[in-house]
Formats: sequence, structure tokens, C-alpha cells
Amino acid sequence: MSYAQRETPILAELCELLVEDVYGELAARVFSVLARHGRQTLSALNKASYLNSRQIKHGLVVLIQQHLVFHSAAVEPEPASYEIDWQQSYALIRYGRCLKQVEERYGAQAANVMSNLITLGHTRVKDLREAYFPTRPRDGDESDDEGINSSKKSAANGSLFVNGHAETNGVAPAKVNGVKRSHPDEEEEEAHPEEEKVIGSVAELDSVIYNLMLQGWIMKVEWNQYLGPTDLHAMAGSEAMGAQPPEGTKAKQLLELGILSRKREIRNEWTTVPKPRTRKRTAADGDISRSNKRQRIGGSDWAPRGDEVIVLDDNLAIRVNPEKVTVALRTDTLVRIVRQLIGSVPAKVYETMLRQIETHTSRCYDEWADPTPVDPSVESNQEIESGELVSAREVAKNIDPNIDLFEGLDPHAIILLTSSYSSSTSSEVDAKGVIDPPINPFTLDLEAKTRIVDRHIQRLADHPFHFATWHSRAGYSQWHIRWQDLIPSLIQHEIETTVSAGNASYQKFGVKLLRALKKKGKLDERSMGIVLMMPANEIRSVVNGLTVRGFVQTQEIPRVERREAKHSLHLIWFDTQRAREKLLQETYKGMVRALQRLQFEREKVKVLLEKAERSDVVGQEERWLGKGELEALRLWKGVERKLLLQVMRMDEVVGVLRDFCGPLVTP
Amino acid sequence: MLYNKCESLPKGTVFFQRDLTKLAIAEDSNELLTILQDLVERQLMKLMTFDGEACWKLRPREEAEKLRKLTPDERLLYTFIDSAKTEGIWTKALRARTNFTAQRLNKGLKSLESKDLVQSVMSVKHPSRKMYLLAHLTPSEEIAGGPWQSEGEFDTALIEIVSRLVEQAIQKDTCVTVPPNYNPYTHTDPATTGSKRRRTSTSIPDIEDTHTLTVQQPPSSKRHKPALVLSAEPKPSTATTLLDAIVSMRVVKDKTIRESDMEQLLDMMVLENRIEKVGNAYRLVMKPKEERDEGLNGFVDAPCGTCPVFDVCGNRGEITARTCVYYGEWAGTESEVVK
Repeated sequence: MSYAQRETPILAELCELLVEDVYGELAARVFSVLARHGRQTLSALNKASYLNSRQIKHGLVVLIQQHLVFHSAAVEPEPASYEIDWQQSYALIRYGRCLKQVEERYGAQAANVMSNLITLGHTRVKDLREAYFPTRPRDGDESDDEGINSSKKSAANGSLFVNGHAETNGVAPAKVNGVKRSHPDEEEEEAHPEEEKVIGSVAELDSVIYNLMLQGWIMKVEWNQYLGPTDLHAMAGSEAMGAQPPEGTKAKQLLELGILSRKREIRNEWTTVPKPRTRKRTAADGDISRSNKRQRIGGSDWAPRGDEVIVLDDNLAIRVNPEKVTVALRTDTLVRIVRQLIGSVPAKVYETMLRQIETHTSRCYDEWADPTPVDPSVESNQEIESGELVSAREVAKNIDPNIDLFEGLDPHAIILLTSSYSSSTSSEVDAKGVIDPPINPFTLDLEAKTRIVDRHIQRLADHPFHFATWHSRAGYSQWHIRWQDLIPSLIQHEIETTVSAGNASYQKFGVKLLRALKKKGKLDERSMGIVLMMPANEIRSVVNGLTVRGFVQTQEIPRVERREAKHSLHLIWFDTQRAREKLLQETYKGMVRALQRLQFEREKVKVLLEKAERSDVVGQEERWLGKGELEALRLWKGVERKLLLQVMRMDEVVGVLRDFCGPLVTP
Repeated sequence: MLYNKCESLPKGTVFFQRDLTKLAIAEDSNELLTILQDLVERQLMKLMTFDGEACWKLRPREEAEKLRKLTPDERLLYTFIDSAKTEGIWTKALRARTNFTAQRLNKGLKSLESKDLVQSVMSVKHPSRKMYLLAHLTPSEEIAGGPWQSEGEFDTALIEIVSRLVEQAIQKDTCVTVPPNYNPYTHTDPATTGSKRRRTSTSIPDIEDTHTLTVQQPPSSKRHKPALVLSAEPKPSTATTLLDAIVSMRVVKDKTIRESDMEQLLDMMVLENRIEKVGNAYRLVMKPKEERDEGLNGFVDAPCGTCPVFDVCGNRGEITARTCVYYGEWAGTESEVVK
């Protein structure tokens, strides 16, 4: 079974809550039947629930539109069976985050398109255009309370300003085409002030969508995306097999490889961007060349010329690519962890590095990768694709120019690294450690900046987690990230953080114990004591506590034939994969509880909320609500924000524990 | 006579037959041997062999007195324990050698112990084994453990002090303190003012503007406190250099610390997340201070992450999200009261 498609009662509960929250009760009822009974045909669904078949069909349509269920209609001619896509169902929680990520990276326009795409589920381009351009009043369908509404509203308003926008930017294309800079992030910085939240025209919409497709955020909808893992496996199997079933182990192994590569082919087909038609730019199209330029960077061999605009196929169905969202989540999480462990400036540097790699990363790990070769030397010789490399100079160019890059560095080093730049006025560090004359960190030339950035990257690389690994000397220094080593460290870090949050003795010894076990493998009590340099009886209670919580396992190995406790070895051990699973389930449960609490809190202020949400009250709360009511409303908003924020942060933990790498195998 | 003569020599001297002849007390070697035989029997001298040659050593008179009063059983035990020297001998091994019953053995050992002739020590390697050795000997490292242990247990106080000193030593070697105003540059650079001008010209009140302004002004906490940062050219602090530093501080008395002991301590400190190993050298774990309040992770910052009744919390029953007192406290709201 697919690693991502595992389902546990607590995850089912969480997903039910999410579905109910976002798509209402009917969809949630159908979803829960599927969750309880597993893969079902329509008639079996009918039997298993109290809903009538019309209701079930309605519910299913919503779920299918949002890709929350797989169905086998394409491969089974008989009644199709339906099955929940757990990964996608969980991903409901990430919608709000996804919008924020898109906005940070590609600006408000792109976020706007994304939010519509999320609300509509998968859509044809035509329908999306419909949604934008006949400016119909949108009846604020507040289906998602993860905070995507703010940008959605701007979408509705935005389309009113079509003409004015086109004129203001009419002169821009010549300038942009003349200067060729090849870094999306930098452009982001420059473009921001003049970027507006409105989508000006159909062409602009198409161009935004096309750009997001090139970056991998939006993908095509294909029929085989609806196949559950089992169906997909069967299909890939039958395609890879040929006429006869394989004989012998060798042939079977080959078949396995064939299936894997076929699955990869199918999947890669989803994200290939169809070559769009173009037409001559007209005056009404406005400036969209900014995004055009990005397409060239996106690795595509084709990009429209400056005077052309993209026209996407009307019937092209598109959806959000969940894998890309996870990649972005990985970036954000890593940046947060670096900020906590090393400092804010290296975090900024790291963010710049990761964003650059992101463009070339379509997923965190390949679920269907060929099995790794047994010989480790083969692996180390593997070529690293150029897209995974970042040089210090590129980072220096792209990093936010408003950051004091000197922070966290030794003043002596600063002078050394910037010396060529300020050679005329060579600075020195006086007895108090003050640089004299001072160096302005915001006016460095690129060379000096590169050297400073390199120093920060070195700090990242020196950390025990090895956030970056040196690759070559290109561009002052070129770095890549060894995900296969980094992510397990992060998982370990997350587990340690959780343990350290317990009572005082866990804080003190629990983490130490885990680290010792991780480093040394299985230990008995005595060697444990020696490694920790502590009396064994002091450790015992901590070991007990951790065993009860399921982070540490104990094992008894008899040394003599009779299994006597006295003559047995009592070993303590720690398996990252086990602890990871355990913590993941606990985090799911924590999220369920937070959402349930939210429901409860909402119930308590139900009457007030109903009043506050009345259309004549919204926007004029001060006028219609009493003082006490306003206060209660404010309190509720605070509680809601706090709880939702916590859920989002738990989602980050889930990301680390579940999504960034496949199952770990203890060596 | 012979005893007195020998006593005048430095304590612990080992006498060979030729040394004793030189003292010229006995007429001939035969007489010497008789005298020696007599002394050994009176426990004043101890017969030993070195390189296949017989040699003798003096025993203090008081000890000899005690020994003379021993029962044969005890004397036998004593000789075995004596022969084990500082390594000590395990009770079980004693029993096997002497063929005594457990009772007889215990009785003998107890009386020896009460006479202050032997001591019992817990072995570090095998904590369940009781080792016996002579009272005046200090147990060897084999059974007593390294410098970090005393009487079979880790000396936590000593370890704590030494590890603090190690931290200080590493800090001295690898870190520099940076005063808050280490780089008093002026804010009149063309780049920032240029971009500011451009922003104002677009005259759109953008969130970005306020955002960048806050970035330019580093958090106030950093302005006030001197920061500790990694030095540009850190002296490598390895186990060897740190060992030298600790030894020169003379904090650990009458125990020698070997490099392997130091490595053990350093490894332990790495586990405690106080220092980290970079290549062969060690450095301090430095967490940025201003980020501490960001919390640990999403799970443990919520009440559930540290909830003592997390496992019994369900969708219904006494403990649910609705009735949770921890959530009530955390969110500042009232929880449902269980009837």
C-alpha cells in the first residue's frame, strides 16, 4: 500500500472534521461512510448509510470535484468503487497556507487565481475565466475559514478596474525586455510596489495561470488522477507487463522496476505544461511580460516573445498541485527551524536559497523512486542536477537588500571579508570590539556581499544538521542540500522538542537519553549509565515514562535457555520511524481536539455570531451590537485565531513528520 | 634484628635474598632463611616471588598482629584477596578457589572486614559483583571507573563543575563578544533612500513598506545586550586542548584524567545539547536569544502536547475537548463542567 495512503481512525476523524468545515454536512456524511467502510461501490454506499441515493450522489460530486475521493470508473466497467484520497483530504488544512505561499512568491494576482481554483476544485480554464470576467456579484460563499476569504473578495472587486490598469503599465515591456535578469525572487522584490491585486484581462489571467503551471503549482487534471493507489498500480502493472506474466525472480524484479517507471511517467505527464497558443498583444492586454520573463527561467524551452500573449486552451482542466504545496511548506518549516536554531539572518539567506531550488523541485521525495543501490559509492557519485545547486553569489543578488547581513558575525571577520571593498578606509576593530570606521551593510558591492553571504551559508553547513552541503567553487561557492540526511535530523529534532516539553526530568534527561540511544543503538541499563554519565537508577524513571509514551522501546533477550529475568539482557532502544509514527498520530489527535474545541467555542457564542453575521450588521458592528456583545465578539475572534494558528502550526509538525521523506529504515 | 634493620629502610622496599645477606645479620644463608621463615610465620614479612625469585616485604607490626590472630579460614581468604591486588577479587571467584560454603565464606569475609583488613567495592563493570581487596589499597580503574566516578557511582557534582569549565574554555577559544553598537554606521546610504523614493512615487500605501522599515531597525533587545558570536578564527578546541585547559586549572585533584575520559565527558555534553561537534573540534550550541519566545512546535505549544491525560481523552466521556480544563486555561475561556 502507498505510504501516503495509510489511514488511521484519528486521521479519518480529522479529515471528517475538515470536510464538514469546508464542504458542509452532506459531503461530510458521505465522507464518513467511506471512511468507515473503506472502498465501496455506489450501491454499497447506499446500503451503509441512511442517506438516500440522491443525497449520496450530491455529496460524492462535491468530493470528486475536490479530488477527495478516488474512483475506479475509468478502469472498471462494472459499478465503480469509491475510495477516500487521504492525502488530499488532509491537504484541506493547507489551503490557507497555500494561498499565503503563492502570494509571497508570485504576488497577489497569483494568490487570487489560486484561491478561486481552490474554491472551485478542479476547473476548466473556461470556467475560471467565466468566474472572473462576467462580473457577477459573488455571494461571499464563506466556505473556508482558513483565511482565504480576504483575497477572494479582492478578486471580485478587482475585475472592475480593467481599463485603468492596462494604461498605467503600457510603457513597461521595453524596459523589462532590455534588462535580462534571471532571478524570480529579485523580481519579486522589485515588482512588488507596483503590483496590484487585480487581474486586468483574460490574457493576464491566462498568463498568471500559465506561469503558475510552469512553476508547478497548477497541474492538469487527468482521468488517471482519480485512480486509487491500487488501481493505479494494477494499471501500471498491466501496461508494464506485456503479454505474459513474468517467470522467475529476476523477471519479477524487472517488472517491479517497470511499474515504478510507468507510474513516474504517468505522474510526470500530469505536470507537463501544454504548449499554449499565442496571439499578438493588443493595447488592452496590459503588461504581463513580467510573468513571461519568469517562464524562461522556469526551465521551459519555449516562451512567448514580448509582443505576444498566451492563450490557454478553453477546455484545459486544471487543479492545484498538492505536491508543490508540500515543497513550499518544507521551505517555510526549514526557515523557521533555522531561525530558531541559528539566527534570523542565516534564516533569510536560507530562505533565498530554498526558494531558488523550489522552482526546480516538484516534490519532496519520490514515492516511486527506483530502489536505492546497495552500494553506497554509487549513490555518492550521482550527479546533482544543476537546478538543485545554489551559489553564494546568486543568494547575494537575490536576498532582501534591507537585511543587516553583518548580524551574528565576528566584527573581525566582517572587516576581513569586506576589506577589498573598503580598502581606502581600512577599518579596524578597537579594544571595545567596535568597528572603526563603521561599514554600512547596505552599501556593499556584490563581491563583498557574496563573501558575507558565503559566511552565513557556512554557518548553515557547519550546524550538526548540515542544512547545506558544499558542492563546488562556482559562483564563489556553490551549495546543495542533502535532503536524505537533513530531513531525518529534522524528524529527530521534532521528536526531541516534543519530549523536552514534558516535565522537568524529561527536559533534563529525556532528550539526552533519546540522543544517546539514537547515537549508540540498543543499550542496557549499565552502558546507558556510562554513556549518560549518570547513575542507572536515576535514568530508570525517565526510561519508564518514555516507554509509556511510546517513544522508547524495551526488549528482553534471554542469555540462558531458561528465560530468567536475572539472566536476561534488558535493552532499551529507540527507533526514529516508530517514534515518528507515534508522534504523527498524536499530532493528528491534537489537531482534532483543537478543531473540536473550536466547534465548542463557536457553539458558546452561536447566538451572537448569528447576529454579527447578518448582512445588515456586517461592517456596522459598532452601530448594532451592544458593548458587551462587541467585547464577546472580540474575545471569540481572539480564541478562533489562536486555535486556528495552533492547528496550522501542528500542520507544520505533520509536514516534518509525514511529508518530507518516505519511511525511514533503521540500518 | 633483621626486622628492625629492614624497617629502617624506606617503606615498601622489596628485599631479595642477596639484599638481606648484605645486611649481614645472619651468619650464613641457611640461618637467614630460618630467620625469614620465622618472620613470615609471625606475619611480619610477606613472601613474594619476582621473576621466579623469592623476595620479601615487610608488614607493619600492627597488621602483623592482626594477621596472627586470624583463623586459618580467614588467613586463606586473606592471601587470595591479597594476591588479587588492586583489581580485587569477586566473592564467587573466592568461593571457587577456596571451596568454602557460602556461609563460611561470608563469615570469614565479615570478620576480615571488621578487622579493617579488607574492603569491599562495587565493580563498575559488573555492578552486581562485590569485589574484595585489601583495605589499604585504592581500587583500580577497572573496577572503580574513571575519574568521573567515585565509589562506583558517577560523581554528578564533579561532572557538572568540570563540564561548566569546559564550556567556558570552549567559549574562550571559539567565541567573541560583540558589543551592541559594534558597527555604528549611519543610515544615509543611497540604496535605501533610492528605493524609498521609488516607493513613495508609486504612492500606494503598501504593506511591504512598513515591513521593510521594521527590518532595517533590528529588534531592540539586540541593541542593548552584547551578543556572543562565533569568532572568525576560532582556535580548535579538541579533546586534547580542553584536557590541557582542565588540567591546568587544577580542579580535579588526585585523579588523572586521560584523553579518553575527556572524550567521554565531551560526548555526554553533546548529548546534553550543550556543545556540538564540528569536525574534530567542539563548539558551543548557540541559540539566538530573541527567538526563544517563538515556542517549540505546534503540537507541544497546544495543551494537548503536554497533556497528562492525553491518552484517555476521547470524543465522549469525562475528558473531551469540550470539558478540557487545559484548553480553558490556554484559550482563556470556560470549559463545560462535567456533571
